[in-house]
Amino acid sequence: MGVPLYCTKIAKRFGREVEHEGHSHGMHVFAAPPSVVVDLCRFLKDDPELRFNFLSDICGVDRYPQTPRFEVVYHLYSIPLKWRLRIKCRVDDPPRVSSVVGVWKTANWHEREAYDMYGIVFDGHPDLRRIYMWEEFEGYPMRKDFPLRGYKDTYNPFGEEKTETSSSSLSDDQDNNSSQPGEKR
Amino acid sequence: MGILENRFPDNVFFSTADSIINWSRKSALWPETFGIACCAIEMIATGCSRYDLDRFGIVFRPSPRQSDVMVIAGTVTKKFAPVVRRLYDQMPEPRWVIAMGTCAITGGVYNTYAVVQGSELVVPVDVHVPGCPPRPEALMHGFLLLQEKIQKSHVLRRHDPESAMAG
Amino acid sequence: MPIEYLPVFLMVGAVSILALAILFVSKLLRPSNPYFEKNRPYECGVDPWGQAAVGLFKVQYFLIAILFVIFDVEAMFLFPWAVVLDEIGLFGYIEMFVFIFLLLVGFAYAWAKGALEWES
Repeated sequence: MGVPLYCTKIAKRFGREVEHEGHSHGMHVFAAPPSVVVDLCRFLKDDPELRFNFLSDICGVDRYPQTPRFEVVYHLYSIPLKWRLRIKCRVDDPPRVSSVVGVWKTANWHEREAYDMYGIVFDGHPDLRRIYMWEEFEGYPMRKDFPLRGYKDTYNPFGEEKTETSSSSLSDDQDNNSSQPGEKR
Repeated sequence: MGILENRFPDNVFFSTADSIINWSRKSALWPETFGIACCAIEMIATGCSRYDLDRFGIVFRPSPRQSDVMVIAGTVTKKFAPVVRRLYDQMPEPRWVIAMGTCAITGGVYNTYAVVQGSELVVPVDVHVPGCPPRPEALMHGFLLLQEKIQKSHVLRRHDPESAMAG
Repeated sequence: MPIEYLPVFLMVGAVSILALAILFVSKLLRPSNPYFEKNRPYECGVDPWGQAAVGLFKVQYFLIAILFVIFDVEAMFLFPWAVVLDEIGLFGYIEMFVFIFLLLVGFAYAWAKGALEWES
């Protein structure tokens, strides 16, 4: 099994920035810096020999205490050619990376998920807001320093106590606490 | 509350009247279809032909305004809890709640940042049906327990919370 | 009024009394506990949103309904006139056309003023 076409084409065009990190589960893995990831994605989609026209997933990863702390992983698939590809993009804390919404429209909700769960801000995203948690929720649940059980409130008495360093709570009143979804009682 | 409710002594006439009223209330329990997660599938299976619920007079209604009982089937998340509370508030009285499945009873396996640890924290619950998901026979047993609870309730007769706790 | 219709009136009376009695007994027995959250309009549990909720309702629906009522009543007048047209002769014919003409003036006014436009 030789080297697939996309490896050679990426190496030829982005050889200096993008490095090939290996091969797992039938997918080649590339590491790209945040400055070049949108160009790489657009190249992979528009090139007539590669045609990666399907964005399967965008994940965020929190690699605390390693630095750079966060990682954005793009999974691409080429429907006509049946190739899979994984692109990893390491970003520092606080995480900012350019949005690939201009390349694949489906990135809209995947990036909202990465923002909601990890706090990774995507520049150029048309509508970056939370998608799983409610709008006033504080914190990013999938980060390594967020407690599994959340913070203690009336809905989950087993949560951890909120300390001054963990979040900025505006008042002590339980009803105004933004750990609960907004509701007018 | 009602005009004639909670004012009469506990003698043979009013206990018979109460039993007639309670019989009519328990024999036509109309649940609000409130399937949130996987337990909804078991609730649907209980309503289908093999484990029929229609023979108990249980007809699923789409709107809370037309229903007597709310079957919370599934995990209640913190984002959804105000909706559960509001739908409970929009049911006309007399109303009851069945918490179906361990997620609705105590949050189930999900002791996390997004799950309410029990729908008791949101609405008052009458019957808990444990299981993950509970078998259709278990849900039917839950409905029958609710019917027993309704049969024993005091409508015209004076309610006395202390004696109800002891009995 | 022939006496053969008496059973019909008795039936109507019995049905009304029965319905009123059932509703009255219901009123005595049922709980009544209205509060703010219970009286809010049902919208699947979320806050009311959209045009009808806020009050921004499309007024064209109302206009169409009003015009319909007027012209429906006019059509209703045409039916008995058509039945007795033989007896009232040419005079009755011309009279009805005067009536229709007056309503046509109103129709032309509504049309010219834009009441029949759907897009505002």
